[in-house]
Amino acid sequence: MEKATNRQRVLLEHLRPLNSSAHNYESSLSASACAAGDSAAYQRTSAYGDDVVIVAAYRTALCKSKRGGFKDTYPDDLLAPVLRALIEKTNLNPSEVGDIVVGTVLAPGSQRASECRMAAFYAGFPETVPLRTVNRQCSSGLQAVADVAAAIKAGFYDIGIGAGLESMTANPMAWEGSVNPKVEKFQKAQNCLLPMGITSENVAHRFGVTRQEQDQAAVESHRKAAAATSAGKFKDEIIPVATKIVDPKTGEEKPVTISVDDGIRPNTSVSELGKLKTVFKKDGTTTAGNSSQVSDGAGAVLLMKRSLAMHKGLPILGVFRTFAAVGVDPAIMGVGPAVAIPAAVKAAGLEIDDIDLFEINEAFASQFVYCRNKLEIDPEKVNVNGGAMAIGHPLGATGARCVATLLHEMKRRGKDCRFGVISMCIGTGMGAAAVFERGDCADELCNARKVENHGFLSKDAR
Amino acid sequence: MPVFKTPFNGYSVKFSPFYESRLAVATAQNFGILGNGRIHVLDLSPTAPTLSQLVSFDTADGVYDLSWSESHDSLLVAAIADGSVKIYDTALPPTANPIRSLHEHTREVHSTDYNPTRRDSFLTASWDDTIKLWTVDRPTSVRTFKEHAYCVYNAAWNPRHSDVFCSASGDCTLRIWDVREAGSTMIIPAHEFEILACDWNKYDDCVIASASVDKSIKLWDVRNYRVPIAVLNGHGYAVRRVKFSPHRRNVLASCSYDMTVCLWDFMVEDALVARYDHHTEFAVGVDMSVLVDGLLASTGWDELVYVWQQGMDPRAV
Repeated sequence: MEKATNRQRVLLEHLRPLNSSAHNYESSLSASACAAGDSAAYQRTSAYGDDVVIVAAYRTALCKSKRGGFKDTYPDDLLAPVLRALIEKTNLNPSEVGDIVVGTVLAPGSQRASECRMAAFYAGFPETVPLRTVNRQCSSGLQAVADVAAAIKAGFYDIGIGAGLESMTANPMAWEGSVNPKVEKFQKAQNCLLPMGITSENVAHRFGVTRQEQDQAAVESHRKAAAATSAGKFKDEIIPVATKIVDPKTGEEKPVTISVDDGIRPNTSVSELGKLKTVFKKDGTTTAGNSSQVSDGAGAVLLMKRSLAMHKGLPILGVFRTFAAVGVDPAIMGVGPAVAIPAAVKAAGLEIDDIDLFEINEAFASQFVYCRNKLEIDPEKVNVNGGAMAIGHPLGATGARCVATLLHEMKRRGKDCRFGVISMCIGTGMGAAAVFERGDCADELCNARKVENHGFLSKDAR
Repeated sequence: MPVFKTPFNGYSVKFSPFYESRLAVATAQNFGILGNGRIHVLDLSPTAPTLSQLVSFDTADGVYDLSWSESHDSLLVAAIADGSVKIYDTALPPTANPIRSLHEHTREVHSTDYNPTRRDSFLTASWDDTIKLWTVDRPTSVRTFKEHAYCVYNAAWNPRHSDVFCSASGDCTLRIWDVREAGSTMIIPAHEFEILACDWNKYDDCVIASASVDKSIKLWDVRNYRVPIAVLNGHGYAVRRVKFSPHRRNVLASCSYDMTVCLWDFMVEDALVARYDHHTEFAVGVDMSVLVDGLLASTGWDELVYVWQQGMDPRAV
């Protein structure tokens, strides 16, 4: 780039008569950063030093709550390994981190904030690094990443960690205390109390998503997740966690290392899922098989200014472009992504067609299928490595998990895959979405198409 | 009149000194800022007004200039933006080319000129502030002339004295050199602004033309360079290249960032003979055929190469 800028400078001098001795480069005309169009034979860059970039994103395996690999693991022992991995894999001095933001949903707020702070100490962070939690229900992990990106953009600090943590073993979904009787008069408020399964039935009923379609989506999710696992695709993003498992009968403790998602059922079939009973409504469509799994897990994402990442020589996995959270009818909260994705994509100056890869959280097959069809997204671009129905949905951790999965997949896909979107629906009627751009550490062109009749000219010069 | 569309932006055009219908074009992608380059060797059809491509050579960086060998009808010297100087044999297929690649300049090579009298050597002028003298058979340069304080844009051999050449630089000086001498023999502070091109009169070995960012072309007599013998005003922007006619003593051609090609007669008061505005972008390359009187060629950033007879409209079909 420097060479091109220097050439522009020499040529600009020809168009701007100046005094012979003074080569004043700071005056009105200046070399432009935009060098060529996107179909040029080399890569166009829209890279700026103040971009917020992701240099590392890791997660634990996601395990079935109460029965899976983390059933006897403390929540802070889930978070600490991923936080430590960020530091170890990047060789970053932990004291340089400006803030840690953890998305977490079900646990009591203050207790969880304390647990997270303790997890930071377990992970080796000094006392000088602050930490807070954030709760936007199912998108808390993504919200944490977005908050850190926003704070870096605002200049509060240059390096931050957005993370997510949920142990649905330790903290099952429950309502504590009584409900304010005033909700009777407010339909929308009352709908916030609906069990999530009912909102899924509402979406299926209102938008005509059939049981067959839902079961098919669940089977696909398991198939893709199983294929990704057996191909070792998750190895880059999963940090093995050394923990223990207690045998429920004998009470015997056994040390284990968990490094594989344990909810994936490779042999699931539509006919098998068709036999399952509906859970929330007698003649409904939502079953345990076509809903997201109840899981334990954690994820963490290291963000910083691009200039700093380049200075430190860290690989740039992706660029955080935009984030949008929207509100929808609480009774059909699952439609959130159908509203949030267009908002985030538009804010990035893009169109849905420009997005090469989507991670849309599969809270329920009903809402996932609806959103995918509503936005007319090519199924080949969505959840290519499976989704929450197969891998699991530890509420607060899901957003951070998706960042790790999406960015590692974009890295593998290389230069053909430029933009990716993460989105999820949010209980009580919301949706969130974020747009990421592939970083420059992408693998070299591995699936590039041969260009016929290359004009060697950028599209925008034509 | 014949037109040829190049995929990249034109940078230079030169008629072959051996074949009246042949010319070579230097091009660079993305205005020479970034990207590849390509050299086209073109043939004028004897019957129809068309230019057909004989062969083309791709380069990894833009090609800023080229010159035909005066001793071999198929040899070309190319000045490449990556600082290399490459020699091509147009008789060989592109896979066998370039036959030589000379890496000595540390910045963009902006021009090259083949010695027309001794016919064994050529000059390259570079943005690394130096001029280098080369022979075809040696793998390294014979000499480096380093006196200019800024980019050297052009160097041109004297048509009569085989050891004398002049150079034009962004340091606002024109320098005359004799390769037998240690340093430059003459420094002419010719313009207040960068000088982008220079050429010797083909009939009077003491007259030089210099073209500058100050929009003017000045004519100098090296025996008395206190004042120019003529100043040609008329271009609206920096003058990029200047070329004396091989056939008429007083005529010269120039092209400019104002997108026009101009013909001048510096001995008459109303010097501007013709203005051709056929280019739609910066006109950066112009040449006059040695073998055909009045045949002109030009190229520019509009990716077009025009060949036309003086007095005709280049765009006329």
